[in-house]
Amino acid sequence: MNGPNVTTLAWRNLWRNRRRTLLTMGSIVFGVFLAVVFTAMQDRNWKDMIDLAARLGGGHVSLQHPEYLDTPTLTRTVVRGEAVETALDGEARHIAHAVDRVIGPTMLATAGENFSAAFIAFDPEAEDETTLSILEALDQGSALEPGDRDGVILGHRLASNLGMELGDKVVYTLTDKNGEIVSGLARLRGTLKTNAPTVDGGFCLLPIGTVRELLGYGADEATLVAVFLKDQRRSGGIAGRLDQELGETVAALPWNTSQPQLAAFIALKVGGAVVMEILIAVLVAAGIFNTLFVSVMERLREFGIMLAIGWSPGRLFRLVMMESAWLAVLGLVGAFLITIGPYLYLSSAGLDLTAVYGGTVEVAGVGLDPVLKIGIFPRNAVLICLFAVVATLASGIYPAWRAGRVQPVDTIKVV
Amino acid sequence: MGDGPVIALQDVTKVYRQGSVDIHALRGLSMEVEPGEFTAVCGPSGSGKTTMLNLIGALDAATSGSIVLEGQELGSLNKKELSELRRDRIGFVFQAYNLMPVLTAYENAEMVLWVQGVDAATRRERVMGLLEQVGLKGLEDRRPSELSGGQQQRVAIARAIASNPAVVLADEPTANVDSETAETLLGLMEELNREQGVTFLFSTHDPQVMERARRVVRLVDGNIASDQRR
Repeated sequence: MNGPNVTTLAWRNLWRNRRRTLLTMGSIVFGVFLAVVFTAMQDRNWKDMIDLAARLGGGHVSLQHPEYLDTPTLTRTVVRGEAVETALDGEARHIAHAVDRVIGPTMLATAGENFSAAFIAFDPEAEDETTLSILEALDQGSALEPGDRDGVILGHRLASNLGMELGDKVVYTLTDKNGEIVSGLARLRGTLKTNAPTVDGGFCLLPIGTVRELLGYGADEATLVAVFLKDQRRSGGIAGRLDQELGETVAALPWNTSQPQLAAFIALKVGGAVVMEILIAVLVAAGIFNTLFVSVMERLREFGIMLAIGWSPGRLFRLVMMESAWLAVLGLVGAFLITIGPYLYLSSAGLDLTAVYGGTVEVAGVGLDPVLKIGIFPRNAVLICLFAVVATLASGIYPAWRAGRVQPVDTIKVV
Repeated sequence: MGDGPVIALQDVTKVYRQGSVDIHALRGLSMEVEPGEFTAVCGPSGSGKTTMLNLIGALDAATSGSIVLEGQELGSLNKKELSELRRDRIGFVFQAYNLMPVLTAYENAEMVLWVQGVDAATRRERVMGLLEQVGLKGLEDRRPSELSGGQQQRVAIARAIASNPAVVLADEPTANVDSETAETLLGLMEELNREQGVTFLFSTHDPQVMERARRVVRLVDGNIASDQRR
């Protein structure tokens, strides 16, 4: 037979009013569930957007000519020489891939039509869908094979506008390093279909080797080196270190600097989401406070007795705080049990919003999958749990303090 | 602890302010309670019984005068010291039992010892012995809701004397039980008084208690009208 202690006493007190405890638990569970799902939605959404944007252009960190950001011309290049390789080696444990790209505008012409487009010249040997997400949207034909020197892949609408079929020829015109107009001939190997108008109607992929020769670039020269990180959240720190190491000749820019439009969009959304999460937290905390306060006020006489027989106000404070702590623990366990199923489903199968959006959604120039999936960063999950515990404990502070302030003589009558 | 009285009240007054009116609950009351006494305090409503026991129980402070418990002047103690004094030297038995509903009979009885920091083995030995003494052997695991009124009051008595207090202050301990149970409870308290020397101070309207008490103090208008020892 073991005697009571504050922990077991608090536990038993919690179940004196089962319905109230379950309702309070429910509000914690609901709050944590909402917070986890919303945060997971955002984390996954932003991560996907950032990764997609990175895979469409400059990577999570972009090494480029210091003036390329302001004036992105084909004359502002970066050489992936020894200095760049050494700097990249220094961050090797964070880097998944680093690939060279030439990005710029071009004019495409067939016998009957000509259209302007944006191009990315890449190395088919070094890259696939992992680093160049647009390849996932290959609609007809095939991707550029390693060693293919005269292939081109066009957005399907651009190809249609140019009146091209697979295997047809197209002339692309560029401005080289010296400002001279140069042209190359390519055959259509495949088309892309993303439902994003800017891609489908005005984008093409070219082999980097041929483009380098046309532009008069060296074998290790490009408009940028796209660096892909294992965790995009480190882009700021890694870009800063690379930038410092590479000096004035090469700028290392994180994705949010090289893609300010996307960064602004995400910052705006994150700000709104934080406000909503704070509102949820305040509502949940108010519910918990109300429960604990009412439960304390109902037991004033009992607290008076406990103080009379020698309980200290501090011990009473600990008792009520322990009740809060139990609520937090129960709430978190309940939240885990309630959240895990929907979370696993939404993170693997996702929610197909095609019927709502009618295909790929383009946000800030980035095409998004209409299947909504969620995925929370572990750090955020821990933060939500910590916040739930802190909010529950904080809600208990005043009721606990109030319990210790009871005057026994006011709540009980000895005679 | 000296050989003097357990409780000594000297010229104690207590004035409550109710709106703009001063209520004189005690008017210069003086009295001593010797160790081992079995005293009943009686008197009509408003005579000051409640106030007197509140003051002796260190639950309230006197307006003037001196209250000394085992040589300690209560007015000189701070809140923490008063709390420790209640815990260690005063036992309370309340009219409505006032047991913790979520604790078993055993846990209720051992609560004061637990708060005192007594180790589990000592607590167990003491409390099991006490519960047997008050006739609750075998009912240790029952919660208050599973006990009769008389049984609950026995647990309250066990709780009150578990820490060997200097005095047990009992608030109408027989008011909520039938006369047969009251008789049994009084017999139990008498036995504890006689065999263990526990000092009891009752407030009561119950003639049964007054008959059993060896000293009856009658209060009228905040002062002692009569004080009879038998």
